[in-house]
Amino acid sequence: MSKDSNASPLRLLVQVNSRQMFRRFHSALTQSPAWFFLVLLFTGGYQMLSFWLFYRGLRFVETFPGLGTLLTERLLFVLFAFLFILLLFSSLVISYTNFFRNRETMFLSSLPIPRETIFRWKFIESTLLASWAFVFLIAPLLAAFGLTRGVSWHFYALAVLLVGMFVVLPAVFGAWFAMVLARYLDRRSFQISIIVTGISLLAAVAFLMQPEPLTDEMLEIRVLAVLDQMLVQTRFAQFPLLPSYWLSSSVLNWAEGAWSTAIFFALVLLSNVLFFGFVCLTYTGQFLYSAASTVQSRSSIFGQWKWGLKSSRRGSENQMALGGLERFIGWFRWIKPDSRALIVKDLRIFWRDTTQWGQTLVLFGLLAAYIINLRHFSTQLTNTFWINTVSFLNLGACSLNLATLTTRFVFPQFSLEGKRVWILGLAPLGLVRAVKMKFLLACIASLVVTLGLILLSCRMLKMDFFRLCFFSVAIIVMTFTLNGLAVGLGTMYPNFREENPSKIVSGFGGTFCLIVSFFYILISIGLLAYGSPWVSSGDMSITTSIICGGSFLALSVLVGWLPFYLGLKKVANFEQT
Amino acid sequence: MIELVQLVKRFGDLTAVNDLSLTVPRGEFFAVLGPNAAGKTTTIKMLSGLLRPSSGQAKIAGFDVQTHPMEARKRMAYVPDFPFLYDKLTTAEFLRFTGQIFRMEEKVMLRNSDELISRFNLEPYLKKSIEGLSHGTRQRVAIVSALLHDPEVIILDEPMVGLDPHHARVLKDILKEKTKQGMTVFISTHQLSVAEEMADRISIIHHGRLVALGTQEELRRQSGVDGALELTFLALTAAEANLVSDHTHAPVTHAS
Repeated sequence: MSKDSNASPLRLLVQVNSRQMFRRFHSALTQSPAWFFLVLLFTGGYQMLSFWLFYRGLRFVETFPGLGTLLTERLLFVLFAFLFILLLFSSLVISYTNFFRNRETMFLSSLPIPRETIFRWKFIESTLLASWAFVFLIAPLLAAFGLTRGVSWHFYALAVLLVGMFVVLPAVFGAWFAMVLARYLDRRSFQISIIVTGISLLAAVAFLMQPEPLTDEMLEIRVLAVLDQMLVQTRFAQFPLLPSYWLSSSVLNWAEGAWSTAIFFALVLLSNVLFFGFVCLTYTGQFLYSAASTVQSRSSIFGQWKWGLKSSRRGSENQMALGGLERFIGWFRWIKPDSRALIVKDLRIFWRDTTQWGQTLVLFGLLAAYIINLRHFSTQLTNTFWINTVSFLNLGACSLNLATLTTRFVFPQFSLEGKRVWILGLAPLGLVRAVKMKFLLACIASLVVTLGLILLSCRMLKMDFFRLCFFSVAIIVMTFTLNGLAVGLGTMYPNFREENPSKIVSGFGGTFCLIVSFFYILISIGLLAYGSPWVSSGDMSITTSIICGGSFLALSVLVGWLPFYLGLKKVANFEQT
Repeated sequence: MIELVQLVKRFGDLTAVNDLSLTVPRGEFFAVLGPNAAGKTTTIKMLSGLLRPSSGQAKIAGFDVQTHPMEARKRMAYVPDFPFLYDKLTTAEFLRFTGQIFRMEEKVMLRNSDELISRFNLEPYLKKSIEGLSHGTRQRVAIVSALLHDPEVIILDEPMVGLDPHHARVLKDILKEKTKQGMTVFISTHQLSVAEEMADRISIIHHGRLVALGTQEELRRQSGVDGALELTFLALTAAEANLVSDHTHAPVTHAS
């Protein structure tokens, strides 16, 4: 039966998991070819679209006389620096989940496989999981950059090598952070530290990234000095010890034909990858067991202080007492008690899924930091065209963020409840009302974020009341639509076999939900922008505005209400069977 | 073959396993009984090296699972209450993977697997993907993969759950045969009939403590109750519960 009884355990694990992945693709292709080709089409379309956008953007920047090259370079430095931070955070979250919340890790720990080998395999897996999106995002940018600079083929070969090396460093640091967190932080303190870090980062970005105020006079006389002043806040991206700096420098120098400098930075990157990679692969594995054991053994970290113990004992004295959240939701007396219980349960489960909402917090936090900083541009943004463009881009960014949120958290809700149908399905509440409640809760929760961000954006751009109402109505409609779509498709394409919500999302329904959301946002923004009365120079007829507005509403009903309605119908039948 | 020496596991200020010491010799069928949250699964996790004890030692075939984990794990097999299986592999591929991980010789692996596959009626499922198997069939696959390398010690956590009466019987027969050949079985179960029928010795854990240990007859004497094991078990755990309630600050366990 064994063809290779002397194969190393790591090789066996790689073989087994590669086979699993291949089978997943194969079964997706054979069982649901429509879904497979839809994903393929969307992926290809996205790559082409982002390549075109990057290409047009870089060409536009390059047209600035005397400044184009400088601006492009700085853009690359900043982009890679931000992606490095995001990759670091993503690696941390994925490593933590993969090392300490993974059934395969537990299974392997009971087999005669050295812990170092288990760590190595889990590290490789985490690196691949964390960095594929980075590669997906960066590929069209590098291709567009190469095309604008007219580089030869070896630039692309080097870029592939450099990116391959680059992703290792955040993966190593992410794995180490995950180990430290597991060792020293429990869930509650992890949540608190994520929020504190998030708020601190937000404040730091909002404060540090604000540009210097400029006058028209300065712009006319000393352009280079002004540009330097404007770019001063982006200098952090050129900190020589940042891995993203080595990557950017190597890419830029190679594109310019400065081979020796490019090779120098590539070697700096390589030596760091080899050093940290070696340390990680040879020494970190020995801490995996103690960290995993600590995660399973620990009570609250606050228990080490007297006040923490007191608080814990107070809590355990009356464990059935109402929690703070229950008391808060209890104020909404017009909501039926069973619906309130469902809301409390859903909020608690969401709150306890720290590793997942942590990433959402980063995305919305970055968006909020950017919007807050718009206030500094208000003097420059006197041009109506730019104000309109920025405001619609804000609407797009906000709704795209929301789409990821609804797909990731709202879509799998019914699948997860389906497994617990013996509770909800048999309760007087019923599944139909439960789904409706989930829809309303998701809408209200996401409206707090999306409407808040849009109002903030309008305030920063000093928009008048009419425009504020326009954008507010637009985001409210889009929030309801995207949530309706996610709830509807989630009930139409449930997956009752999976416990893990992120795996539920990766099926046909989840992918379809994301793609439809994306196109809905794209078309909606187009319609709203084209039909808004202040965008054109005044020759826009009221009829066009009404047609565009009406089309947006009709599209929203079609995309949001229809799947929701069909989903509810399916749920009603589900109750009868 | 199995030795637990003053084993303690604390979760913060909760003590899940409290000063547990016992020895299970080679070839013994040893059953661990206890109410929910008694500390059985925590004990098993420490014994199989998945959880580090707060203090004390757990040894398999003379090897401390903490200091010599590889030596201990080579000699044991563990079937958890919800075993992990690679869903996209077929049954045959999964069994082959397990054999390779234990570095089994091909001949031995073929011989062992043929016999176990046949006894657990897994032939129709060998080429089938594990994801499509029923709960009971998955459990059979997990048990076969655990027995494949002929371990010296097998640790089973509720292995009968999901098995139909026929395959539960097959498992019992195999375990009986294997113990005669020298394999040590350490089983945690709530099915008292399994312990009653199979176990050479039984231990009862309650609130993380070993409250009784011995043959069925010895347990009966200890409890002072004649009759089925159920009565003995209830009497012993009730006595322990009363004892605990007398001590107001007794630890409350949360892991079983």
